[in-house]
Amino acid sequence: MNPNVIKLHNLRFRWPGQAEDILHIPDMQIHQGEHLFIQGSSGSGKTTLLNIISGINCPNAGTVQVLDTALANLSTIQRDQFRVDHLGVIFQQFNLLPYLSLLENVQLPCWFSHKRKAQAGDEAALRLLDELQIPKHLVNKPVNALSVGQQQRVAVARALIGRPEIIIADEPTSALDTNNRNRFLELLFSEANQQGSTLVFVSHDPHIAQKFSRVIELSDINHAGETII
Amino acid sequence: MKLLKLAAKSAWNRKISLSLAMFSIAISILLLLGVDKIRKEAKNSFINTISQTDLIVGARSGPVNLLLYSVFHIGNATNNISYASYQKIAAKKRVKWTVPISLGDSHRGFRVMGTSRDYFRYYRYANARTLQFQHGKPFVDVYDAVIGYEVARALNYSLNDNIIISHGIVSSKFAEHDDKPFRIVGILKKTGTPVDRTIQVSLQGIEAIHIDWQSGTRSGLKISAEQARKMGLEPKAITAFMLGLENKIDTFRLQRKINEYRAEPLLAIIPGATLATLWQTIGNFEKVLLVVSALVLMAGLIGLLTTLLTTLNERRREMAVLRAVGAHAYHVMLLFVLEATFVVAGGCVLGVALLYLIQSVIQPLVADLYGIHISLCLLDGEQLLVLGAAVLLGILFSLIPGLIAYKRSLQDGLMVKI
Ligand SMILES: Nc1ncnc2c1ncn2[C@@H]1O[C@H](COP(=O)(O)OP(=O)(O)O)[C@@H](O)[C@H]1O
Ligand SMILES: [Mg+2]
Repeated sequence: MNPNVIKLHNLRFRWPGQAEDILHIPDMQIHQGEHLFIQGSSGSGKTTLLNIISGINCPNAGTVQVLDTALANLSTIQRDQFRVDHLGVIFQQFNLLPYLSLLENVQLPCWFSHKRKAQAGDEAALRLLDELQIPKHLVNKPVNALSVGQQQRVAVARALIGRPEIIIADEPTSALDTNNRNRFLELLFSEANQQGSTLVFVSHDPHIAQKFSRVIELSDINHAGETII
Repeated sequence: MKLLKLAAKSAWNRKISLSLAMFSIAISILLLLGVDKIRKEAKNSFINTISQTDLIVGARSGPVNLLLYSVFHIGNATNNISYASYQKIAAKKRVKWTVPISLGDSHRGFRVMGTSRDYFRYYRYANARTLQFQHGKPFVDVYDAVIGYEVARALNYSLNDNIIISHGIVSSKFAEHDDKPFRIVGILKKTGTPVDRTIQVSLQGIEAIHIDWQSGTRSGLKISAEQARKMGLEPKAITAFMLGLENKIDTFRLQRKINEYRAEPLLAIIPGATLATLWQTIGNFEKVLLVVSALVLMAGLIGLLTTLLTTLNERRREMAVLRAVGAHAYHVMLLFVLEATFVVAGGCVLGVALLYLIQSVIQPLVADLYGIHISLCLLDGEQLLVLGAAVLLGILFSLIPGLIAYKRSLQDGLMVKI
């Protein structure tokens, strides 16, 4: 197996209507099983990068290879399927659909992916929620009965269900206080380790960087906006 | 399947605004189907007023006019026809039966019609139904009267009551045939036709009450009821007559012959054909109502569109989450289409349910008041078409927010600005 789970090469991206590239990454590799922290200030293009890795946006130039698959070779619909089959996603906030129960929210990726469903089995959602310290009595409650910290941990359960190879997290801790943040990270790491998932975590918050096995400053690898001398 | 569940749960989450939209569609469906129903029932009862009469013959005027005064008792004949002409045509070989009609008098707002006993035998309405007696029997004596259902109900008459006939169609104290009262010998069952509002007497009765009248006023000499009875009461003129043939094939030939009748200007009409022409005129009004109801339905659908469009922003994050867990952009659009389908289909079902509910409630009332029987039948093809069109339009409308959400979810990706 290729130790590089994600490989970017000569990647260039700009939003439609923009005059300049927001991202220009000559080379970046993310290894199997590592916990990568990508730090960057607000508006530096962290979310944009995650959009590209998850196949929602396509680069203007260069290649994106995820798990040996060049995303450019997939159709839009295949990319959507690829995303749910191999990636778990955690947002900054409002991860959960208010009209589904907590359990349904966790199982959501299995609704769209046979692969995730098969790998999850029947009890996975309950087990994950238990490991993520969500009290049992909340399981069939509507999600707005949960605190923000609990909601983010449920989002972790959803990202992890069915053992996707990669977890991407877009500032999932910025709405949490320090206590909740540390607890969140501990649980996220231990679950990711247990499943052998690769973790790509972006945030503007430098305080949590030391907990990760590898830290990248986005501005170090992103050459967009630099003038070449 | 999963998408259907998602759409249903998501819609349920916004049940208040959606049920309002559904309700307004239900009301407009109710209106549309209701107007259509009334239109059809009205047409039915209109067309059902007379049946199995091959020709109606009167003095020459317009066909619609002749139909209106002879059958519906609306308006007046411009001219009478001579009794001799009537007898001559009635005696023709191919004519099976005739029923004379002599109009011009009234009783407390109800028309009095002179006719023969054949009326009770040959007059047909609503698919060949004959007149039935609730009480009593046809008139025999000169001063016998048979009254319609509505007359008996409105004036609270029963058998053997005496009634005074007024001269002309507007009752007036000074023009009453009060010297020759009539006795009620029969009360007809309800028909839902103008017969219900008519008093039937014999032609001789009409003749008798006018024997001492001249051009609308009482003449000098008085002739009592009993004296009149003994005089020859052969009418000199009637208003019109209905006619049935041995063989329908002869209808057009006889019609032409009568229209070319030399002795006096006559007009023969085929009631069915003239009814149809008349209905086309009246029917236009119903069409306007139908168009208005269709516009109300459009308003309901636009209301739904507005509701869907206002949810676009609040659902943006929902769409981003769904995209993150593998939903395609077209799934996002489909969610809107499914939602609109729920709402419109629900509105249709609710509207139809309301229609049946209202029908079953007012059915006895309408039957009682107007003698119109509303049948609680299944939806016909046209009405199903209306429902189908409503759902289709709803789907079409939902493509607007659907496409907007589709485009946005492609742009938004995982990042949704609040
Ligand atoms: N959907 C979009 N359309 C156009 N421009 C966008 C869009 N999303 C982000 N951008 C722009 O791209 C830049 C980087 O945004 P983003 O990747 O969200 O940064 P970060 O996540 O690091 O805060 C911003 O300047 C933003 O205005
Ligand atoms: Mg961001």
